[in-house]
Amino acid sequence: MGTQDLVTIVPWTFIAQICNLFIQMYLIKRFLFKPIGEILEKRKALADKEIREARESRAQADQLKDQYETSLADAHQEAARIISDAQREAQAKADELVQEAEQTATNLRKRAAADIEQERRRAINEAKDEIGGLAMDIAGKVVEKELNESDHRRLIDDFITRVGAAS
Amino acid sequence: MDFEVTGARIFARIPTGIPFLGDFPITETLVVSWIVMAIITITCIVLTRNLRIENISKRQAFAEMLVETANNFVRSNTGGTRFDKLIPFVAALFATSVISNLISLIGLRSPTADLSTEAAWAIVVFIMITSTKIKAGGIGGYLKSFTQPIAVLTPFNILSELATPVSMACRHFGNILSGVVIDGLIYAALALASGALFGLLPGAVGDFLSKIPILAVGVPAVTGVYFDWFSGCMQAFIFSMLTIMYIANAAEE
Repeated sequence: MGTQDLVTIVPWTFIAQICNLFIQMYLIKRFLFKPIGEILEKRKALADKEIREARESRAQADQLKDQYETSLADAHQEAARIISDAQREAQAKADELVQEAEQTATNLRKRAAADIEQERRRAINEAKDEIGGLAMDIAGKVVEKELNESDHRRLIDDFITRVGAAS
Repeated sequence: MDFEVTGARIFARIPTGIPFLGDFPITETLVVSWIVMAIITITCIVLTRNLRIENISKRQAFAEMLVETANNFVRSNTGGTRFDKLIPFVAALFATSVISNLISLIGLRSPTADLSTEAAWAIVVFIMITSTKIKAGGIGGYLKSFTQPIAVLTPFNILSELATPVSMACRHFGNILSGVVIDGLIYAALALASGALFGLLPGAVGDFLSKIPILAVGVPAVTGVYFDWFSGCMQAFIFSMLTIMYIANAAEE
């Protein structure tokens, strides 16, 4: 087993070392840079994805908030509208009731007046008849003369009319 | 006491019958290179087992840190992501260099203590530099760049172009070889010193102890911090850095 010179370039070693360097380059690339590069790439993709998702969900939340606010405002408006409707309706109902009551009162008053009038008329007629009968009796007794029935009646009426006009 | 620094041992010769190149020698350099490659590859495989996206293990964090460091190293020195294709090459160069330099700590001979290794790397880098230049400026632009700023300088430009791989190879090789030589010297000197020191003891005890280099325990660990650890890491870093800078510069011309 010999030794080579201390400072020399052995052609075969030289060639072999060039090959070794490139083999080593391939091995490092294959077993270190490739897997690590892939994992870094994946991690980056994951981080990007998470950021994107966070952004999306925030946008969604904002949208929902807007929606809720809009519907809340709508609800307030609706409530106000219902209240004002109810007030208006109640007012209308009250007005109607008052009017109806007034109407009824007016009717009652009218009917009462009509009744009174009718009663007065009936009383007058009865008094007329009474007076007529009495007058006829008195006159029959005074005159002793039988007047025929129709002349008789006419005379009484004339009398009463004259009495009414005079009074 | 003899002290000798030899080249890499040759374990076997495979006859190839190819003229000029001769037999294929299985040298210590090659064997240790394969061990280094196996270490790097197995480390990569172990580090990238069970990769997860979330809740990662320390192992995975370390692997990711290595990749990020390599990416940042290349990107910050080239100022962009234009040379991302080079990242695995530079990483391989750096890893192989570092592990090769440091493997001497476990008693194996560094493949980088053989000029063939550095020459191979430097030639690959030189070809990359040249092809980048040609790609950037066309073959005409590349040839014309030798006559800049004036035609008289052409020989010097050619010389400086060729000096690039030579200096890269020799710088790395020289540093590692000097580490090998100094480590050898220190071990030899310490063995000598402990032999002399314990030889002062009388009788058989002194004879026995003087044969064991007791002082060689501990002291080389301290000097090794510089000559093996620092120098080893530094040269790997310098080589990778120069590779990136030269290629980035070549693309700008």
